Amino acid sequence: MSYKVKILSEDKTIAAMENELLADKIQKAGINLSAYCSKRGLCGKCFVEIVDGKLPPLKGREEFLLKHKKLSKNYRLACMYKIKGDLSIEIPEESIMQEMFILKTGIESPIEFDPPVKKYHLQLKKPEISFPYSIMESFEFYFRDKNLIIPLNLLKTLQDIIERSSFNITAVVYNDNEILNVEQDNTLNKNYGIAIDLGTTTVVVELVDLNTGESIDIQTAANSQMKYGSDVVSRISFAFSDPKNLDELRNSILKTLNQMIKQILDKNYIDSSYVYEIAVAGNTSMNHFLLGMPVKSLALAPFNPVFTRLPELPERYFGFKMNKYGKVYIAPNIKSFVGGDVSAGLIASDLANRKGNYLFIDLGTNGEIVLKTGKKLVVTSTAAGPAFEGMNISCGTLAVPGAIYKAEYKNKLDFFTIGDKSATGICGTGLIDLIAIFLDKGKISPKGTIKNKRKKIAVTDNIHITQKDIREMQLAIAAIKTGIRMILKEYHLKKEELDGIFIAGAFGNYLNIKNSMRIGLLPQIDDERIIFIGNSSLAGVKALLLSKPAREKIDSLIKKIQYLSMATNPLFQEYFIEALEFKEINH
Amino acid sequence: MTEIAVNVEKGDSASVKEFVRKALSQNLQAEEILNNGLIKGMDSIGKKFKNNEIFIPEVLIATRAMKAGMDMVRPHLTESKNMYKGKIVMGTVKGDLHDIGKKIVSMILERVGYEIIDLGIDVPREKFIGIVEKENPDVVGMSALLTTTMSNMREIVEALERANLRNNLKIIIGGAPITQSYADEIRADGYASDAASAVTLVKSLLKHKN
Repeated sequence: MSYKVKILSEDKTIAAMENELLADKIQKAGINLSAYCSKRGLCGKCFVEIVDGKLPPLKGREEFLLKHKKLSKNYRLACMYKIKGDLSIEIPEESIMQEMFILKTGIESPIEFDPPVKKYHLQLKKPEISFPYSIMESFEFYFRDKNLIIPLNLLKTLQDIIERSSFNITAVVYNDNEILNVEQDNTLNKNYGIAIDLGTTTVVVELVDLNTGESIDIQTAANSQMKYGSDVVSRISFAFSDPKNLDELRNSILKTLNQMIKQILDKNYIDSSYVYEIAVAGNTSMNHFLLGMPVKSLALAPFNPVFTRLPELPERYFGFKMNKYGKVYIAPNIKSFVGGDVSAGLIASDLANRKGNYLFIDLGTNGEIVLKTGKKLVVTSTAAGPAFEGMNISCGTLAVPGAIYKAEYKNKLDFFTIGDKSATGICGTGLIDLIAIFLDKGKISPKGTIKNKRKKIAVTDNIHITQKDIREMQLAIAAIKTGIRMILKEYHLKKEELDGIFIAGAFGNYLNIKNSMRIGLLPQIDDERIIFIGNSSLAGVKALLLSKPAREKIDSLIKKIQYLSMATNPLFQEYFIEALEFKEINH
Repeated sequence: MTEIAVNVEKGDSASVKEFVRKALSQNLQAEEILNNGLIKGMDSIGKKFKNNEIFIPEVLIATRAMKAGMDMVRPHLTESKNMYKGKIVMGTVKGDLHDIGKKIVSMILERVGYEIIDLGIDVPREKFIGIVEKENPDVVGMSALLTTTMSNMREIVEALERANLRNNLKIIIGGAPITQSYADEIRADGYASDAASAVTLVKSLLKHKN
């Protein structure tokens, strides 16, 4: 017997068979119905109004939830409603999951909002002498899960909590099968997570509402490990020169993170006990330092890490300022120095699902390049060195207020500084603009030689570019160029066949596309096919914090992603040397 | 002669060949063409590279031009006056895959008259020892670009000492993280920051031999 289900709010009619679940049918019709509790009748987020049709008696938690949400009696949970006749329904806006835009630039990369940490407000049944069931059973009753995990140390405290709150509690559930904590009364609206982009130079912490996925605040600080070396290799050699040093590195970053977490929570009047999960994306080395993992294997070729993916870890391994039963998720490392930051970038850019051929380039100290072609994903990493971040440059600086980040030539040289402050130095994007301008003006030869006698070009009275600065930039640019050329060659692709190039990294939108092509950093393709995605590591780790499916996706991606080694490829040297000249190479 | 040097610097192989042919036809001494033409051009390249005036590609092109000239001059060099100056084993130490710097140093040393055995990259200690035993070189040159791999240099020096191979052997080291004080610390005979300095260094270390 086939029935008709009219969805008035969407102006759609669908056919359904006897006993089919209304929630399934709505989702199959392409409507993004909320399924926060995986259709177990627990969360009350999929209420629909039954305008016309059978109104079955309230089941399970429906009555409790209806009362709490102050809905009229003709609302039912779509995940509990079995179709037994023709229906007309309205789906309220609250029951539809809003699409998440993970990237600030608004490029679509669909993330299914399904955080591992979920809260349920429950009125537990009081045990009676005739039926003296256990506390565990009272939870199992709701979660209908015989494998429900309640850690012993939590279980020991439950009787008190439950009695104090007259059985009116909020359960914090992890991955649908583990009770992380039980809070008194209704604390549904206090549910937070923190996403961390753990960079070699810069650390960014984002406070996120785990109920909505909304960002509450963002905080940036320098990585305090800088004092042990500005690049990962010097930190690695510091770490293995003495066993105590690894602990020192670890404690240093934990201290920075805890200070940042405390600040961002205090600023927003949020108690750290309501933070139940922290997700971290760092490069392979940073992930190893964070966990105190030995880094000896990262120090020498073949540069294999100790771990790629890890299960979610309990807070006590870290001592983070968060709920003591909270979890810590580390975005998985891929291969060698290609780490969790790139995993996060893959999620943020949705690279694997794009149709056509795409490159993902993370322009950092370690440049990572991922090619998506057909069903293949291939990654390579290339040591660009810190020049793009303004390091090892005589008047270089990080992208901080006062840094020249942009330059133009219209009759005369104009430059722009971050925050409009007086110029204190030049950051990576500024260097690229200036070099492009000086090439056009003939002040630098395509081979990189400064043509004047002083071997120095003044930008302001006390800021200049030296011959050595140009050499540093040539090396950094050549590393990226060579990586792009080798990965395209390996898969017999021409630049014209690329549907797009995602540019991630600290450069953000400051990078001038034309100038980048002028100096040969990027292949010359349509401007429109260059897509800036900013800090994709942060965007991606936020997605991983908010989505179990995203975690499953990255786990399966890192299993299939291929690694192209550049150092051992006999072509590398030849390509690299050719790439040193400021011009495009033929792809 | 100046034209030869200038064209080596420019990396213009065709012109180098042409001027070498002219010089030979004018019955100029092969040794003179070599020293005042080709090697002079190469020395100048080394100095300019050291001062950042030119970069890796120009050095490589110049060495190519130099080689073109050398191939023409070599048959005219008398055996006794052959330019052979000594044998050098070069390699990047284990765990390190950097090649270019070591290769440039090797090429320039080769062009100025040394026999080079290049062991390549990621070279284990045993291989250095084995080749020294077998080839009995005058100099061993080691390269490391990572602070994490430079400690392997010390192990190689110590292993050479233990194997009693150190007495007539000079050891030179180089690479971005290397310093003179590190060379002193691990008992290497010398450090050079660039290819031009490496030539000067090797010359002075092997002075007694020539």
